[in-house]
Amino acid sequence: MISTLLLNSIIAGFIAGSLCGCTGTICGRMRLSTIAFTMAHAALAGSALSLLLGWNYLITGMLFAVFTAIILGPLSDILRISLDTASMTLFSIYNALTFIFLIMSPGPTLSSEKVGGILWGSILAITPTYLIILITISIIYVMVLQIFWGRISSILFDPRLAEAEGVNVKFYTYTLLILAGMIVVFTLKITGGFLVFSLLFIPSATSIQISRSLRGMILTSSIIGGLSSTIGILMSFILNLPVGSCIVIGAATIFAATSIASSIIRSRVIEGEGIEVGS
Amino acid sequence: MNREGQFLKLEQREAYAVELIDVSTYYYGEKRPAITDINLKIPVNTLSLVVGPNGAGKTTLLETILGLLKPRRGRVKVFGHDMAKRAQLVRKMCSYLPQDFMKDSDEPFLVKDVVAMGIASNRDLGRLGEEDWRRVYEALELVGMLEFAERPVGKLSGGQQQRVMLARALVRRPRLLLLDEPFSSLDRESRRSISENLLPDLVESGCTVIMVSHDLTFKPTICDLVVRMESGRIVEVAEA
Ligand SMILES: Nc1ncnc2c1ncn2[C@@H]1O[C@H](COP(=O)(O)OP(=O)(O)OP(=O)(O)O)[C@@H](O)[C@H]1O
Ligand SMILES: [Mg+2]
Repeated sequence: MISTLLLNSIIAGFIAGSLCGCTGTICGRMRLSTIAFTMAHAALAGSALSLLLGWNYLITGMLFAVFTAIILGPLSDILRISLDTASMTLFSIYNALTFIFLIMSPGPTLSSEKVGGILWGSILAITPTYLIILITISIIYVMVLQIFWGRISSILFDPRLAEAEGVNVKFYTYTLLILAGMIVVFTLKITGGFLVFSLLFIPSATSIQISRSLRGMILTSSIIGGLSSTIGILMSFILNLPVGSCIVIGAATIFAATSIASSIIRSRVIEGEGIEVGS
Repeated sequence: MNREGQFLKLEQREAYAVELIDVSTYYYGEKRPAITDINLKIPVNTLSLVVGPNGAGKTTLLETILGLLKPRRGRVKVFGHDMAKRAQLVRKMCSYLPQDFMKDSDEPFLVKDVVAMGIASNRDLGRLGEEDWRRVYEALELVGMLEFAERPVGKLSGGQQQRVMLARALVRRPRLLLLDEPFSSLDRESRRSISENLLPDLVESGCTVIMVSHDLTFKPTICDLVVRMESGRIVEVAEA
């Protein structure tokens, strides 16, 4: 029984981690990182609200995340503030709401398993249904990227030029953001609401050090995201620590190792060149 | 491809590639228009030069034509189509070389991929075929950048990057080509070969070219119209 749960968790964790790494890289390229960040916390607030009202946390979280993705642009236009300012303001509001919803939710506050699950994640949440939905999302995501890669890469390179060439930039941006929202909501169940953004950000930061091409970056960040989750889940299982924290520590370790390795390689290259010039 | 083809045929009768009627464009939140009461007709199959000092509104004019900036007043027509309604479709027949094209040195895109985006932007679905890649390499050869096809675009010099962006504009085989200071980073030899060979050939093959430049130093060998702008207005249209 335990081993089935562990196996399911590892598979789900790997998929969710890969999706986060991938979408993190894409959102980063589109300079949408702050939006993704705010979406993660919107999903958290939504999940907290679902505890309070007894609704389905996935649907509520998703509604919050997608709503945020859609209103942020117009909001910053209407209030004439930058997108970053709007994102950060909403982010704070969502965090405040999260705690209010949690405190108001029925049952012994903060100690209950459900609350813990939302804040720092739990592998107990990984059911076969969850796994199936996760696999479906990843198939959709890969298909969208494959089919529309030409236009998406054109947008990632230069959105304004893509628009000048007749690409519907808004449509693709929102499609990618909504997919990001779905991924965030699902991953939140494993990592917990406060740490999901790390899984979006750290793998993509690592991949920039390894890869030169965008395809390579997307691929490596997916693998790193998946590996971090797998390591984290195993660690949490063995050491009995919160799974979200373990995943982030795993990701950060990979990031640190890559940084050190790539700086060593770079300094070797420079030394090598020095010798060549000298002789 | 088919859709593009049908679309082109429809336009064959149009006399003007671009028509601007009483157009004024404001930047967001600005009280004064960046270009004011512009009336301009650019006939099909010509090369026009737009000149004027910094801040005259040349870039604003190009982006208004493409619909990237929405005019607050007036109408913009490209090949007879109202840009307020059909911008996305019309843009597929146009190419634009922006004034600021420089990319960061860590930009993760190869030269050939950047040029290929020019074709991919017009495709509904699917990958590029062999024929498309042949077009990409042809365009790179035309601007003398073929040997750099596999290099990351951010690691090229300014002039090289400008030529790559020109190749991306050309690979689309546009019917309307908008060039914003296309020579700003190019050496004398490249400027000469583009203005003496490439641009005349393009116009010959049925393309309409609108080119922005500060002055007339690099007036192409063929040039049908010279549009002079000052502080947001057209002050002179001369047939050359
Ligand atoms: N993003 C912007 N926001 C507000 N005003 C702008 C913006 N961009 C340009 N302007 C203003 O619009 C006017 C026209 O600018 P434009 O960029 O079209 O000039 P230009 O003729 O292309 O100049 P240059 O030769 O320097 O490229 C200028 O007065 C400028 O200050
Ligand atoms: Mg300009």
